[in-house]
Amino acid sequence: MAFKDLRSFLEKLETEGQLLRVTQRVNPEPDLGSAARAVNNLGDQAPALLFNNIHGYNNGRVALNVHGSWPNHALMMGLPKDTSVKEQFLEFARRWNNYPVPVERVDTAPFHANQVTENINLFDILPLFRLNREDSACFIDKACVISRDPDDPENFGKQNVGIYRIQVKGKDRLAIQPIPTHDIGIHLRKAEERGENLPVTIAIGNEPVITTIAGSPLTYEQSEYEMAGAIQGEPYKIVQSKHSNLDIPWGAEVVIEGEIIGGYREFEGPFGEFTGSYSDARHQPVIQVNAIYYRDNPIFEHLYLGMSPTEMDFITSINTCVPLYHQLKEAFPEVEAVNANFVQGLAAIISTKTRFGGFAKAVGMRAMTTPHGLGYCKLVILVDDFVDPFNLPQVMWALSTRVAPDKDLVVIPNASVLSLDPSSDPPGITHKLIIDATTPKSPEVRGEIFAPTVEPPRDTEKWETILKQLMNK
Amino acid sequence: MHTCPRCDSNETQILCESPVKGCWVMYACPVCTFTWRSTEPETITNPEMYNPRFKVNPSEMGKYQIHPAIAQRRS
Repeated sequence: MAFKDLRSFLEKLETEGQLLRVTQRVNPEPDLGSAARAVNNLGDQAPALLFNNIHGYNNGRVALNVHGSWPNHALMMGLPKDTSVKEQFLEFARRWNNYPVPVERVDTAPFHANQVTENINLFDILPLFRLNREDSACFIDKACVISRDPDDPENFGKQNVGIYRIQVKGKDRLAIQPIPTHDIGIHLRKAEERGENLPVTIAIGNEPVITTIAGSPLTYEQSEYEMAGAIQGEPYKIVQSKHSNLDIPWGAEVVIEGEIIGGYREFEGPFGEFTGSYSDARHQPVIQVNAIYYRDNPIFEHLYLGMSPTEMDFITSINTCVPLYHQLKEAFPEVEAVNANFVQGLAAIISTKTRFGGFAKAVGMRAMTTPHGLGYCKLVILVDDFVDPFNLPQVMWALSTRVAPDKDLVVIPNASVLSLDPSSDPPGITHKLIIDATTPKSPEVRGEIFAPTVEPPRDTEKWETILKQLMNK
Repeated sequence: MHTCPRCDSNETQILCESPVKGCWVMYACPVCTFTWRSTEPETITNPEMYNPRFKVNPSEMGKYQIHPAIAQRRS
């Protein structure tokens, strides 16, 4: 069921009523950023947007919010668009275990249609625009950035495909933010230790699965392409760069080849981040662009960032939940589901069976000690197994009726968190909080006397089916 | 358009013009790397109306973090 490229996925979205074509003329600013914010305000069933009439461009096309709703996420996975979030989570978790699926290598790709190696001008090819008012420039924020480990360049698993913010500084000059703990940060450190530049390839406008996996917390030696194959259910198609050993998604709209200049930093930012706050300006690495390849009439796919909800809450949603879930299950098979959809998992909700009093608090602490939890999971809420963590009214019910503030809050002082968390002080350090909203159990004293939970009447599920059938008539 | 709206430098340059001629011009500041388009609102293009919270003083560039730190070369 794999989609071969962004265009075929947009066709599927249109067939399913999940794509809105905007044909009126728009200005790059503030129209495109405003529209992207606006579509995120329309709720979790909203469509993708495709613009084809951008002031200053003959054939400029911009796609926004491609992943940005639960129907779109379900369609990406080849599921019916009304699949519940919990079902999407469980299916994603099942496919995750099919890793690795070997890739399919081919020699040519549609983006070979056009090649520029001299007088490069990114603005001629991409309708770049400022997203939020205080951003320092136009950014590219939804591209797959590919790099290899300079100490082990033949190791396919160590090749990284990740999404990083990229400031456009000039016609052929970019800036990038490689966080030291991210795989590309490790690659850059090794290149600088060797006194070399780091070759990178930037693939813009891809079919939706590789973008999702590029935003997933895989381990250093796990291949994003082999995981994308597991999620889409067939080998992932890649083509090798003409100038390096970097592998590129076959269907990419635009491919930028260049290198991060080793040992050099330059002023970058600020940028409105996924936390909904601006990050401060910093001195960050620069990419010199050497070549661009692109399809005829390429589509610039972009992502709005700001206060939740945004497309980021879908593109780093279930793919964040699932690795956390698998790691928790290793220690605690009682865990039922994990909802870490909030700001990349800064807050998380875990549903679990409990064996005895205090059990859920241990599950919460384990979440904070997973590799992803080290930088996220600042706030972890534990709910019973019969509470759907993706159903926020149910979670609020658990918080409202199960939590005794004097007994169920655990504060972990001075823990680690990603430095972009605007509440951390100093950046990167924060207290963390576990809220145990499970029903108390013995030997807790409350466990003996806690008022019994009202269970649904016996045939409730049967009646859900009957009522749905009646509604669909 | 000759003064950078963000850092007030006078070294600004034309970055590029719109592919369809005459629609807009992009400018770039080589001092603070700010870029802007001629068609943006004055809160972006006018140095006096630029948000003071986000102004940059070129004499204070050293106060900003180097990220990530530059790795030492192996001997």
